[in-house]
Amino acid sequence: MGVASLVLGIISLVIGIFSSGLLGWLGAILAVIGIILGALGKKNPENKGIATAGLVCSIIGLVLCLILYIACAACVSGILSSASSF
Amino acid sequence: MHLYINLFGLTIPSYGLFITTGVILANIIAIIVLKKTKQDFDNFIILEAYCFLGAFIGAKLVYLVVSFNEIDWSSIKDFYSFNHLMQSGFVFYGGLIGGLLFVFGAGKVHKIQTIEYMRNLTFLIPFAHSIGRIGCYMAGCCYGIPYDGPGAVIFPQGSFAIPGVKLFPVQLVESALLMILAALILALQLKLKWHYTIETYLVAYGVIRFFLEYYRYDEARGFIAGLSTSQWISILLIAFVIAYNVAKKIKLKINNTAGKT
Repeated sequence: MGVASLVLGIISLVIGIFSSGLLGWLGAILAVIGIILGALGKKNPENKGIATAGLVCSIIGLVLCLILYIACAACVSGILSSASSF
Repeated sequence: MHLYINLFGLTIPSYGLFITTGVILANIIAIIVLKKTKQDFDNFIILEAYCFLGAFIGAKLVYLVVSFNEIDWSSIKDFYSFNHLMQSGFVFYGGLIGGLLFVFGAGKVHKIQTIEYMRNLTFLIPFAHSIGRIGCYMAGCCYGIPYDGPGAVIFPQGSFAIPGVKLFPVQLVESALLMILAALILALQLKLKWHYTIETYLVAYGVIRFFLEYYRYDEARGFIAGLSTSQWISILLIAFVIAYNVAKKIKLKINNTAGKT
């Protein structure tokens, strides 16, 4: 679980830094799953170190993806043109 | 209103910055509250992460349903079209319902007392939402109706709102009301040991959202029988909360009566 969390955290970090807005939603989902696995992995004393590392990477990856790529959570007209004549 | 903010030499999207700031601040406050209530922060992280996952899925699903006729489904196989569809377009209520479902599911799967965490931390939902709404104002999304009174705002070209037209500042009004709601729930919790924090939030937000919908002007809102989708969800949410609590009280009364006989 700890290793999975670390892998997902690193992937979400890479997406957050390098994908230039393309895959932010995917990075956020992977980071969230990484956070769940990291927090669960911390409950096992043998995996605590790697799980913590995975948790931290996933949180940073999630923050990067949220800041750079998230769209308005209450916008309904995401794919439509928002400019209307008045 | 600025779509982007320059910080330390970086050009950062305002909406993302505000929503992330809201989430980070909410988590910092959660650490303080959980220390006082002697609850496990790792369990809170697990519930919060499931909430995000459920919120994403719920918000996206409701958006797809509401905007079904406006979406060009034939272009879905194109990577960029699919990516744009996933990247943008969410409905808050779908996120709220999806988040709640996933949180309670996570509690059952991982044996966490979800309801106790939620009752202590419900006030953080309107808190983070309030800060996110400032992000909406910065980006110009979720804009208000044309309005020529005190506080009217004019958005520039390039934002999501209609440019150059005086609009009602519905994002800022909702942000203020949400922050007041967060403070009210926290005050009730601390001063009166108020048990019904979740119910208070759902009913109060339902009322706020119902009336503010009349001041929203952004496109593709989805209307049924004269009311918007969000107004219908508000009505159903309020009705559900009232019905659930009435049913709980009746069940308690029956159990007490059965216990006495």
